[in-house]
Amino acid sequence: MTQPLIQMQNVDKFFGSFQALKNINLEVHKGERIVVCGPSGSGKSTMIRCINRLEKHNSGKILIGGRELTDSEKDIDAVRREVGMVFQSFNLFPHMTVLRNLMLAPQLVRKNNKSKAKEIAMKYLERVKIPDQANKYPSQLSGGQQQRVAIARALCMSPEILLFDEPTSALDPEMINEVLEVMEDLANEGMTMICVTHEMGFARSVADRVIFMDLGEIVEEASPQEFFENPKNERTKLFLSQILSH
Amino acid sequence: MSFDITLILDSLPKMLSGIGLTFQLLILSGVLGLLLAFVLLLMRLTEKWYFSVPAQVFIYVFRGTPILVQIFIIYYGLPQFEAIRESIFWPILREPFGCAILALTLNTGAYVSEILRGAVLAVDRGLLEAGSALGLSRNQRFIYITSPLAIRLGIPPYSNDVISLLKSTALASTITIFDMMGIARTIVAETYAPYEIFISLAIIYMIFTFFIQKGFGYFENFMSRHVKK
Amino acid sequence: MEAITGWWDDYFFASIVVLKIFMASLLLMVIFGLIGAAAKLSNSIIAKKIANAYTIIFRGTPEILVVLLIYFGSAIALTSLFQLFDPSIKYVDVPPFWAGTFAIALIVGSYATETFRGAFLGVEPGSIEAARALGLSNLQTFVYIRIPEMWRIALPSFGNHMLSLVKDTALISIIGLNELLFVAEQATATTGKPFTMFIVVGLIYLGISTVITLFVMGLEAYGRSHLRAAK
Repeated sequence: MTQPLIQMQNVDKFFGSFQALKNINLEVHKGERIVVCGPSGSGKSTMIRCINRLEKHNSGKILIGGRELTDSEKDIDAVRREVGMVFQSFNLFPHMTVLRNLMLAPQLVRKNNKSKAKEIAMKYLERVKIPDQANKYPSQLSGGQQQRVAIARALCMSPEILLFDEPTSALDPEMINEVLEVMEDLANEGMTMICVTHEMGFARSVADRVIFMDLGEIVEEASPQEFFENPKNERTKLFLSQILSH
Repeated sequence: MSFDITLILDSLPKMLSGIGLTFQLLILSGVLGLLLAFVLLLMRLTEKWYFSVPAQVFIYVFRGTPILVQIFIIYYGLPQFEAIRESIFWPILREPFGCAILALTLNTGAYVSEILRGAVLAVDRGLLEAGSALGLSRNQRFIYITSPLAIRLGIPPYSNDVISLLKSTALASTITIFDMMGIARTIVAETYAPYEIFISLAIIYMIFTFFIQKGFGYFENFMSRHVKK
Repeated sequence: MEAITGWWDDYFFASIVVLKIFMASLLLMVIFGLIGAAAKLSNSIIAKKIANAYTIIFRGTPEILVVLLIYFGSAIALTSLFQLFDPSIKYVDVPPFWAGTFAIALIVGSYATETFRGAFLGVEPGSIEAARALGLSNLQTFVYIRIPEMWRIALPSFGNHMLSLVKDTALISIIGLNELLFVAEQATATTGKPFTMFIVVGLIYLGISTVITLFVMGLEAYGRSHLRAAK
């Protein structure tokens, strides 16, 4: 087996005296699709935010593509170039058009010239099916459209890995599907993804593995079938009964 | 007690002849103060204590003392030192105008620097995280994300500070500068008609305040035309 | 520095004067601010217009101009008033202390008007509705819900208004009040050490500002303490 793309070894993370992550061990291989779920405050977001160093872990090791995340700015930048992220609140730059949002990083980070950056941006806008919104500002789009732009923005950097931090939680119910469809397409094309989400239907249909976290720990890790039909841990059972009962 | 209209009509042109000085004080110290504020901001944003601590002390001192006291320390106080009288700055510091500009610049610089810092800190953290996640460097995030958004957030408080600065320029009259306020005080001393003179001068200042406010209002609308409130 | 030795008591008593002006103007400033805010929030168009004029005038006019106008203006007004009763009166002296106190309270009160108004409007409508839904009376809602919320919202700006008042006391030396800048001028005249004498004034003001800032910070921390627990 080849070397995993993401390796987390005995990772701990503290916020002050509160321990947000306890001894996390995780390996993700190229092309794997992982869904992370768990009650709020369980450390799901913190875990994926450690992967691109938006949060700094306190102990343990994180290796991305064999490169260890340390204080070295160079390594952090290198990792961030290869790891895309989609946020719960979209975080589109409000002062730039959709197109400029997409072109920014390819120009500044990948040093593409303007026309090349624009070509890349349009390619991914078409992929998320909203090329006609290119010249609008984020505030003129619906939530679902904004999140699709945010996905396209991450894709413009051609990342090896895509992290999703509750991408549908801030959306009105009728807009959730358009975003999930885009995510499913990406999954089917072989993108390596880690999704923190409560969308259990999505987990069932695309995930290779489901990870359940509680109180900063990985409690259970299983295939979706195992996870939903035959959960081992009591906490997992309780969680599933709470979210699936209604 | 009567209101002497002819006195007002006579005095208005005299007072307005000080408008040039008032504007020079406002614009020179406004521009220099903005530059100073920016330097202080950068000093505070670095994580090096030998930059940020002096900037903080400077801001603390100039915000914690009356501007009139600052003007007096510079105008009356500095010549106490031989070194100042022999320095290359003496031609500026010898003149009341130079002292007024220096005091107003230092004062407004301290206040505006706090405004800029507030605006920088008010930029949504999520946007900076999005920038980080895309691989933008610290400087790139500051230039392309923080600055344009902070400028929008900073306009309303900054316009208030420009108005404060306009009002502070009137204090230059205490060190023998004949701006509009200085001229008005001479006229009152001669005619002893404070109502007529001071009220008409107040109206002139209010008109300027109005235009400053309007101007910045348009600027703000223009700058934030795409950003939903 | 020894030039200053003979002047400590003068500085001390002048500081007391500054503190007295501060206290008196603080009280007046709160009154003006509350009246202004109440007028702006009232349904009366006339009250609104007057309050708007008040804030526009005092926020758009240099402080020194307001102080001078009120000092000289009130002297003239009072003189003509007294002359109605006793034509032999030539001139009525207005104490600079009160003219100055009144003037700076009016100025800062115009800013406080906006602060109080903003605080009133800043209270979550949801909290008020919830209180009403629970059956609290108008008065109970006001006392238990609105006032504490308003206080928390207004506190940071209110702290700034207190600092403005302290710093504006320096302006009253212009109308001849025997306060800190006045002492520094006299001390300079005898000792020839202007920098020393004016720096002392600056340090005294800095000290007063610091005490006020710490006081407000303490209040804010207190106000936040029970909210933090809720998060």
